[in-house]
Amino acid sequence: MTSQSTGSDGSKASASDCDPRPVTFRIARFTPRPQSERPARTSPFAKSNPFAAAGTRRARGRRWTQEYTIRIAPQRTVLDALLQIKREVDPTLNFRYSCGHGMCGSDAVLINGRPDLLCTATIADCLSASETMPNAYASFGVANGSPQVQQPPAFRRTGSATTATATSSSALHSDSGIGSRATGPKATNPSEASDHTETTNHTGTTHFTETSDPDKSSVIEISPLPGFTPLRDLIVDTDTMFEQIRRFKPYLLHDDSSAESRQNHHESDQPETQDSVQNPLTKAISQAAKAKVVDAEPASEYRQTPEELARYELLSTCIACGLCQGACPIYAGGEAFAGPAAMIAAARFINDSRDSHRQERLEAIDQVDGIQACQSIRACTRPCPRGIDVGEEMWKLVEAVKEQSDSYAHRSA
Amino acid sequence: MNPQKVRNRYDAVIVGAGAAGLSTALGLYRALENKKSKSDLSPKVLVVSKLQPLRSHTGSAEGGIAASLGNQEKDDWHWHYYDTVKGSDWLADQDAVRILAEQAPGIVIELEHDGVAFSRTEDGHIAQRKFGGHTADYGGHPVRRAAYAADRIGHQILHALWQQCLRRGVEFAEEWYVTDLVLDPPTDEEPGCHARGLIVLDTHAGKLQAIQADNIVLCTGGAGRLFHTTSNSWDLTGDGMALALQAGLQLEDVEFIQFHPTGLGHTGILLSEASRAEGGVLRNCEGRAFMQDYAPGHGDLAARDVVSRSIVAEIDAGRGVADPSDPDGPHDCVWLDMTGIDAQRMTTLLPQVTETIHRYAHLDPTVDMVPVKPTAHYTMGGIPITDRGHVYRWQDGSRRIVDGLYAAGECSCVSVHGANRLGGNSLLDACLFGTRTGQAIAAIMANADKPNDMTDAPTLAQALRRRQTFMDKLLAVESDAEPSESTLTNNQNEESDPNGGASPNNPYALMGRLGRLMEEAVAVRCDQSSIEKGLRGLDQLDADAKQLRAHSGTAVLNQEVTAIMEVDNLLTLARAVLNASLKRKESRGALYRSDYPQRDDEHYLAHTMIDAREVVSWQPVHIVDMPPKGRNY
Repeated sequence: MTSQSTGSDGSKASASDCDPRPVTFRIARFTPRPQSERPARTSPFAKSNPFAAAGTRRARGRRWTQEYTIRIAPQRTVLDALLQIKREVDPTLNFRYSCGHGMCGSDAVLINGRPDLLCTATIADCLSASETMPNAYASFGVANGSPQVQQPPAFRRTGSATTATATSSSALHSDSGIGSRATGPKATNPSEASDHTETTNHTGTTHFTETSDPDKSSVIEISPLPGFTPLRDLIVDTDTMFEQIRRFKPYLLHDDSSAESRQNHHESDQPETQDSVQNPLTKAISQAAKAKVVDAEPASEYRQTPEELARYELLSTCIACGLCQGACPIYAGGEAFAGPAAMIAAARFINDSRDSHRQERLEAIDQVDGIQACQSIRACTRPCPRGIDVGEEMWKLVEAVKEQSDSYAHRSA
Repeated sequence: MNPQKVRNRYDAVIVGAGAAGLSTALGLYRALENKKSKSDLSPKVLVVSKLQPLRSHTGSAEGGIAASLGNQEKDDWHWHYYDTVKGSDWLADQDAVRILAEQAPGIVIELEHDGVAFSRTEDGHIAQRKFGGHTADYGGHPVRRAAYAADRIGHQILHALWQQCLRRGVEFAEEWYVTDLVLDPPTDEEPGCHARGLIVLDTHAGKLQAIQADNIVLCTGGAGRLFHTTSNSWDLTGDGMALALQAGLQLEDVEFIQFHPTGLGHTGILLSEASRAEGGVLRNCEGRAFMQDYAPGHGDLAARDVVSRSIVAEIDAGRGVADPSDPDGPHDCVWLDMTGIDAQRMTTLLPQVTETIHRYAHLDPTVDMVPVKPTAHYTMGGIPITDRGHVYRWQDGSRRIVDGLYAAGECSCVSVHGANRLGGNSLLDACLFGTRTGQAIAAIMANADKPNDMTDAPTLAQALRRRQTFMDKLLAVESDAEPSESTLTNNQNEESDPNGGASPNNPYALMGRLGRLMEEAVAVRCDQSSIEKGLRGLDQLDADAKQLRAHSGTAVLNQEVTAIMEVDNLLTLARAVLNASLKRKESRGALYRSDYPQRDDEHYLAHTMIDAREVVSWQPVHIVDMPPKGRNY
């Protein structure tokens, strides 16, 4: 029995959901150490430890778990709670947020082992979901434990956590019940600059079944989104995701046949150089550039029927929040994969009737670290805040690529 | 995505990456591409933004972008021109509105070519819907003028513009925060003032950098965070407007702030006007559909400012209701009753509205009354610009251009919105005048014989030193520790007490106090005493803001440092808003002064020009085709 169900007697969002009550937030924190201030003396094992060398993407600094107990109504969002903590308890807690209602895509994190947006997850959802969801995700292995560890792949990991996390959080568990209280990080045992991770048996942490007493606080665990390098506290590096999205030329390329008679003007020195040689899209772009009439006043829109729109409209609502990436065991596990978000961005243009380069786009994603890396696990579907069935769309891409190469083979035969 | 290294000098730096900033960048790049055959320019252009571009608040715009395409019924840009001037309560500059209305169709078609997934008519044209205040035949029947993409036009435009910027290789410095705008000479002495550069904080590195730029464009958006209840994102802290004030420039018409009537309860999240268009009714605590009392014949679909004022009048008369999520809280909402709308119809036509109510109010609009209150939505005023985006100062009865400085979008005021903006005109303003600004800069760059070689920029170096000292002071925490127990306050209340001296002194708490102060002072309605009370309260907040320090000494991604500077900006801007409101002794559009309830064209058919020293001057409105008359809906 969770306290959530206590006193709400079955009806819809009731008065009890409006009553603030103590909730504990257990947050994975990280303060990077500035380069210049890094002392020459480090761990004596740092040079010889192969993991230290391997973890080049992992910034040095201090990691610890911090608990905050505040009073908040279950129907509020987790973002409301973190903002309240910033305002009233600890202004040093860092996390991205902007629009606050699920449109900007900036606040993707891992809540109770589940990728979610801070501003769409309610306290009530998290408390009731903590009963069941971690197990569901644990079967994919993405969730439990410390997501700061990028490697090895998540699905080969079982509930790992840093030593400090395990000991300090339980030792300092605040059951003050009233009022809010931060557990001082100084009391924890920060694993200073440790690039090695000790695994301790800590699998039970995402289950909180002891909270039958409504006055006793329930616990919500928040950590950075897996698959992304943490930069500070819950803020992660999203550049890698955007670089992969960019790689597949996520912009409309429409060859305007009526413009072919016009003189070419060179747009060819645009910076499309990096992966130019093998990428069939690059050629397409220069063709499109030649065709596009920049100086002409656009006379009328490209026609598109409602049915043609329907083929990509939902795909175009992607907000690039990264939840699908964080849920994907392949991507978050560190395999070479451009990631579901990049594939969705590509699919959006592949299915747009106005785009003239469907074929080149399909060829571009047909690579080992492109759509070929997808293993149809479909973990990417559930967290999508826009309701895109990411797993299904990925499967459609696999089929479209296959269809295309089949027909190509057929033609050349 | 960030460049490997941000240079110390650029031909142009654009601040902000929403619809205005990205349109400026595209306008600039496209215009240079056209000129390339003549001069072989490879421009160095940087877009600096405190958010990754796709996080910009443009993405939250729902309804549509206005343009007289006439795809679904006869329309004429002259009608759009008239509607916008009338909606502005005759405070808009008509020459600028004329450009807005006449060039709107071209901009919308360009956006479609950029990839915007517009909703479509059966024959494949861009679909258009009716929108408040947009009419046929100069005030006749409502006309389908707002081009839309379901209920997420802003998202579509933002993404398409960003995508086209990627295609052209526009360079971005993301999560960089501009702290200072440097003009030379720094004080407003003589004409000939020139923008020299910016001081910018790379939040990832926690380091300041001076960037010299021949052309600087401010596209930083609005300032909804002046108020507690706002539809705006947490990042709309009026940075660009404050930068202008702090650099000694003026703002125009900042007292005009649009409150959208239907913000959802305590959240302020927007519930689209479509909820009332489809049959939603506003009711007070007695269940009375009160809008008929205030706007007979128009009822719940009267103009935004009229409806917002009516709601507040009901609340002031003690007929408000409490937000059910805070039943013991103030009775500062009214009910939005959508129970008369067929459930099926609601899901089809109002998906976003329904989802928002479910998710954030935990109510079912088919059976439950929904608490709403007016929510701060849009700043009509801003940095004064010409219709080519040049920032100017109003001095001795003429416009004096600040060389090398431009602005576009909500932070600017070309004055197409006057005292009240029509729905569908904000995205249009941002995209159209952004594009024009980019083109204007391209023209200047193409004609410049030599790069403006300011090898020595003492004012810039000086500003950098000053800001560095400020930063060092903020970050001087005793030992590089997280907050000590003593700095943390135990607070049992769910909300921090706005008046209690016990509330902790950090920028987030202070922003909350400012929001409540501004709400009491000028939200929806005001009078001399409420404004003066607000100004007195600001003095205390200013004093508290000076004491703000970061609670962590680590500069890397220290959000509190940025927040302290955002609070400074909000406080600077709040003072300008209050003083401008005090000076305008009339009621017009979104500004309602209960002590001066009538419009007064004899004295106030003019733009308020206010600077940081609170000096106010008046710039006459450009009346070209339409002399002022009454504004009835």
